[in-house]
Amino acid sequence: MFQNSGLSLDQAPPISVVFRFFLAGSLWGIAAGIWLFFAGAPALEPSTPEALILTHMLTLGVMLSFMLGALFQMLPVLAGVALHDPVKAAIRSQYPILFGTLFLLSAFATASGALYAFALLFLGIGLLPIAARMLSRLYRLPSHSPSSRGMGFSLYNLLLLVAVGGWMLALLGGWMQRGDLPALKQLHLDLGLLGWIALLIVSVSFQVIEMFYVTPPYPKRYARWMPALLTGTLTVEFVAALNAPVLEPWIESFAAILLMVHALLTLRRLSMRQRPLTDATVWFWRLGMGALAAAMLLLVVGNLTDLSTSLTMVLYVLYTSFALSVVLAMAYKIVPFLTWFHLNAQGYFTAPMMHEVIHPQNAKRHLALHSTTVFVALVAAFDPRLWPLAGSLLCASFAWIAVNIYRAWHLYLHVQKTGERFDMGSFS
Amino acid sequence: MQISNYMTHEHRSCDGLFAEAEKLAASGEWDAAEKAFLDFANETLKHFKKEEEELFPAFEAKTGSTEGPTQVMRFEHEQVRGLVGKIAEAIEKQDRDAYLSLAESMMILLQQHNMKEEQMLYAMCDRVLPPAEKSDLVEKMEKVEL
Ligand SMILES: [Fe+2]
Ligand SMILES: [Fe+2]
Repeated sequence: MFQNSGLSLDQAPPISVVFRFFLAGSLWGIAAGIWLFFAGAPALEPSTPEALILTHMLTLGVMLSFMLGALFQMLPVLAGVALHDPVKAAIRSQYPILFGTLFLLSAFATASGALYAFALLFLGIGLLPIAARMLSRLYRLPSHSPSSRGMGFSLYNLLLLVAVGGWMLALLGGWMQRGDLPALKQLHLDLGLLGWIALLIVSVSFQVIEMFYVTPPYPKRYARWMPALLTGTLTVEFVAALNAPVLEPWIESFAAILLMVHALLTLRRLSMRQRPLTDATVWFWRLGMGALAAAMLLLVVGNLTDLSTSLTMVLYVLYTSFALSVVLAMAYKIVPFLTWFHLNAQGYFTAPMMHEVIHPQNAKRHLALHSTTVFVALVAAFDPRLWPLAGSLLCASFAWIAVNIYRAWHLYLHVQKTGERFDMGSFS
Repeated sequence: MQISNYMTHEHRSCDGLFAEAEKLAASGEWDAAEKAFLDFANETLKHFKKEEEELFPAFEAKTGSTEGPTQVMRFEHEQVRGLVGKIAEAIEKQDRDAYLSLAESMMILLQQHNMKEEQMLYAMCDRVLPPAEKSDLVEKMEKVEL
């Protein structure tokens, strides 16, 4: 294949940008598993320090890393132009986020005001500039797809989320009086879990499900308005949290129903896909969307009647399963593809095929491990003796993906070092 | 939206042909797979030709640049053409694993490419070209043969 490198590589960020985020996310997943192993059931009880730590390991550690990696990769495709100097941008947000997360976790453990302040400072430095840059890139697009629109809205929710986090901190520290802490906490949770994580996944699915699995499109008007409607709902919740906290559960339920609809629409599309193969990623998506539908249903029920402690834990497990399953579905496509793509575009004859980077059988085994993890965690909600087992399985699951990412990276460097390359001097 | 509609429709119909060929290759019906893949390859290469010979030049003339987005698109077409050749080899050897692996790369590559075109290039064409020129362009593209 006669190829000139340069061009396409200007478009896609260097492979290290994506892999560094994915690897960091996997390591946080391992850490979360270890934490769950030692902390046990208290890590799942609302508002214990143990639970705050687990939740933020999963959200700021695992999810944020994978989501930033995916955004760095997908934005150039959607927006046509790469971010300027992506390696520097990645490092400049990754390290502050890492330190901010570590400060925050220690703050939860010690309740130290200074640590909270440092956490906010570092997380702000790591998140705000990159989110604002990505948002302004998206804003300047000549035309929008449901996917780019959704990403824009989810980044906007991320900015609000950080702001509300700062506000809660100011209340805790006594620097500010306005606002009711439980109401803000509810808002923080919904902005993070529904407005940022779930909406970003929704936006990705608009693009990925239809195009990669060749399914019928999502209903046009639904896809056009859903991200705005969800974000609008959360903005109303923002106002309610400040002025009429009693309304919050109702507004939250509406947002949950929107996401439930999305999960069902996605499941329907996956079952109508034209590509015949049931590779692991289809099942990761199915598991994730099934878990989202169930989680959102439970959330609505919980707003109508009080859920038992066990069912609250089930809700937690279901939502987490949703987010982690989709992350794995994406990783098993992106990692082998990028390894092949970059080497191929650089002109290496010996560029490995996707199946040589990660064999589908390997992903299927991971699917089995991941499903077992989800199952054990669901049962553990009723039998707390199982939490350590769930923790070990979570740990093993992320160790699995970490090894796969590390191997792919290693293979990439190996081919670069030893592979035969098409001599670009003789072309053109 | 004339250009966007016309071209996006072609992308989707190529996807359908691609899925058909993959289905046959996965179940080991190699003769039928070969035929279906040929359909896909012909449609895709014809679509590329329409872009390279009609749409891109019109866009370049209007925006006054031959580098930039159209250049990137041409380069990606080359990458896809390379994969078409490799998949044809896999069919020849009846190598199922190679076929499916290459098909996966092709699918992602092509979808990323299509996304960029639909998101940026076609949308810009629809914006900068006057309506009469667009109708003319679609007519000319209809006539392109491999
Ligand atoms: Fe094209
Ligand atoms: Fe095209």
